[in-house]
Amino acid sequence: MAKITGWAGKMLRVNLTTGAISTVDTMKYKDFIGGAGIGYKIIFDEVPQGTKAYDEANKVVFGVGPLTGTGAPCSGRTNITSLAPTNPYHAVTDSHMGGNFGAYLKFAGWDGIIVEGASNKPVWLRIENDKVTIEDAAHLWGKGTVETSMLLNEEMGKEACIASIGQAGENLINLSSIVNSVNHSAGGHGGILGAKKLKAIGIIGTQAINIAEGKGKDWVDLNAYMMDEIIGANNQHVVPNTPQPWAEFHDSRSRWTAQTALFWGAAKPPVETGECPPGEKNKVGLRTQKAVFDLGPVAEARTIKMGGCHSCPIRCQSNLEVPELEKYGLTRYAASTCINFSSPGSVMLKGYSDGDPKGEVALITKCLGSRLADDYGIWSNYGQLPRDFKYAYTTGKLKEALPKEEYDSIPWDLVESGDPAFLLEFYRRIALKEGEFSHLGDGPYWLAERWKFDEDYWNGNSLWSKMAYPKHHSNESGAQVGVLVNIMFNRDANSHTHQNMIGAGLPTELLREISGEVWGSPDAFDVPQNYTPMNEYKANFAKWSLDRNFLHDSITLCNWVWPMTVSPSKKRNYRGDTALEAKFFSLATGIETSEAELDLAAERISTLHRALTVKNMKTIDMRNQHDTIPTYVFDVDPDKKPFTPGTVKMDKDDMQLALTMLYKAYGWDEKTGAPTRATLEKLGMKDVADELEGLKLLP
Amino acid sequence: MFENEIQDFLEKLRTRREFLKLSGRGIATLTVSAAVLNLFGCSPVGESANVLLTAKGMLISEQNRCVGCQRCEMVCSAINDGKIHPFVSRVKIARNFNYGTEISDNYRNVDGYFGNFLMTPETCKQCQEPKCAGACPVEAISLSETLGAWTIDAKKCVGCGACAEACPWHMPTIDPDTKKSTKCILCGACAENCITGALRIIPWEEVTAILNKNGYRFS
Repeated sequence: MAKITGWAGKMLRVNLTTGAISTVDTMKYKDFIGGAGIGYKIIFDEVPQGTKAYDEANKVVFGVGPLTGTGAPCSGRTNITSLAPTNPYHAVTDSHMGGNFGAYLKFAGWDGIIVEGASNKPVWLRIENDKVTIEDAAHLWGKGTVETSMLLNEEMGKEACIASIGQAGENLINLSSIVNSVNHSAGGHGGILGAKKLKAIGIIGTQAINIAEGKGKDWVDLNAYMMDEIIGANNQHVVPNTPQPWAEFHDSRSRWTAQTALFWGAAKPPVETGECPPGEKNKVGLRTQKAVFDLGPVAEARTIKMGGCHSCPIRCQSNLEVPELEKYGLTRYAASTCINFSSPGSVMLKGYSDGDPKGEVALITKCLGSRLADDYGIWSNYGQLPRDFKYAYTTGKLKEALPKEEYDSIPWDLVESGDPAFLLEFYRRIALKEGEFSHLGDGPYWLAERWKFDEDYWNGNSLWSKMAYPKHHSNESGAQVGVLVNIMFNRDANSHTHQNMIGAGLPTELLREISGEVWGSPDAFDVPQNYTPMNEYKANFAKWSLDRNFLHDSITLCNWVWPMTVSPSKKRNYRGDTALEAKFFSLATGIETSEAELDLAAERISTLHRALTVKNMKTIDMRNQHDTIPTYVFDVDPDKKPFTPGTVKMDKDDMQLALTMLYKAYGWDEKTGAPTRATLEKLGMKDVADELEGLKLLP
Repeated sequence: MFENEIQDFLEKLRTRREFLKLSGRGIATLTVSAAVLNLFGCSPVGESANVLLTAKGMLISEQNRCVGCQRCEMVCSAINDGKIHPFVSRVKIARNFNYGTEISDNYRNVDGYFGNFLMTPETCKQCQEPKCAGACPVEAISLSETLGAWTIDAKKCVGCGACAEACPWHMPTIDPDTKKSTKCILCGACAENCITGALRIIPWEEVTAILNKNGYRFS
């Protein structure tokens, strides 16, 4: 048998009930690529229908793929698959983290870890290459993620990567995360590790990831080609956000913030981001000054550098020096990105004490909150947690729900005055499960039931559906395409494919031209806020966005940068290279694979995810039970009609047609949106069809 | 004062360059002032850069620019070993990623991602009198005139690890697959592919050109 390359070739199975540790052949699952794909297959095959997230029978699959750890740009992702406690049906979700964990898992010789059963006392999992042991974690229980890591690094060695839960996960808070390397957090499954009493996983790996024989130079050359010609900045924005002599285009919303006289100001000495045109691969890591993008100009002087995940040249994590944090008992160093900065800011629902949303107090607040959330291991549910808090507070539901004594013990004056110290209370009460207040961490569905939220709660507050997640680049992002992406998952759509294209920064006409080449017609791509009715090309765009997302979570690559639909390169006329995943996959695995073949594998994973959702929900009626669309999508701008300029308003019948067209593109039942036997068999999943038939869940 | 610093640097550079030419040997670190670094387009002030003079040129590593992506380790092992194997990479950053060189009680405030985020890529210093070569029981490590670097003859290497042990920075590593030692041969791939220019090799021709352009004579 040829040597396995790309993949490590084996996965680890750990049963916490029996203490049994065994290996699983990865290659049995290679049609599902890795990460999410393998995760879905294992959950589908091995977790009985009706299992709840915190049940002993639930399993957690930490999965990586053939590109993880290989140094392919942005390949430092770990995908975690399990049932979701936030979801009303406990349907399957993925949580995702970057950092070093996934790469180091591969260096230890593993493509994944299947955690099953439950321990009756706190334990942690120690992985040193092939040597795997379950260790006592009594001394770690009750500790935050940072101290847990440090204590395990003292045992294992300073170079080990540790992923752990904080107090929130231990206390079975639904909105809990799993965190590695200080601030790389995966949202939604922390409580499951808590239920299994698995505090942490530590990894030391000293092994190689092999690639196709004799292809070392080709590998570096392919990386260099991508770095020189194809990759842009964060979210694959491919134009700078200011006019620059080399750049034909610019867009003030672009995350390509690098420019002359913009610095990492707290570096010693300061580093100028400067102009970083395509072709200069030694400057790609300077293109995204994310601190300024996330926190405003006030962050420049506090920026030590840009951090990020293993192998990623984009660096979207801001590493900051904020001495004011010492006042709150923390160190002066902070690191985070995007929603994990903005979420604590939203907790301050009356604003900041200096009244400036991009001022110093806002920066201190966001740094303080992100540090607390990462250490406690609290997940914001894509920023929904603070919105739920705001709803409950402003409607008086919170006051009704809390015992008077508890309500009065909360220092509301800190909220009213915009004092960041409120965050110490907010996150502690949730993580330590203190009182009724902590139920904010249940997630929207259970919270709305418990605190008797009005039905109008669901038609606002940025919520998407009763699947208990918020919208994430929906109708405001690509019209029907964004809506279709948002209906698919059992958590917020962590799918950035369509959004990256829309936000790339190139002129709309050029984006439409490129859309025509990728999805069959320029009409796949609507002019922002000037939408057209549904067409088959939009269905292609939506399906492609979803499939690439599932592929990225499986192979693994970061969907916040990939795929490479466009590029910053004028000489390529801004064309990207959508075959790059297949090129890296072929070189890594030695299995020559075309873009179309890899897309078919992605379609298999998407369809398996769908089949698993059907199984979890015990209904084939995905259209009405799962793929629901909030009415505000159709009611916004009452004086405007859908498909007229200046509105993102959608039309109800048109969206039902859009669902039908998406189902059709997938070969799913056009009435219900459930996978058919024919399609499952075409994708090589006869066993899945048989199982669903046995459960009477085939359309 | 800047002028003195630069003249002093030039004097050292000339002598050492001569030595490099005569011996073909690598040269140990040179302390370089801010004014000199500025000449070469490095950060204008501060002490964060290390400079090595090698037969190929000046190798500069700047701590303030290193973002910890670890791509240098990938590139090194892909080019030199045909696989992705950071453990045997000749440039090392992962081992200092979390806590710098050791876990201290003050770990939240010192080097490493758990502290102030800073980390320094370590490179082979191509020592004048290398301890690795001195410790090798089979004389497998010798100076390659063409590469200007101390290199390991894989045919001779018995994988005993004496070189790794002897190196004060433990830069050579025994590859667990081949059972042979690995060490830097100054191929330059890490610097060529560094995403922020934290690692750079400025070839001697370029050093000369930069100096001449700034009105200094160096040849």
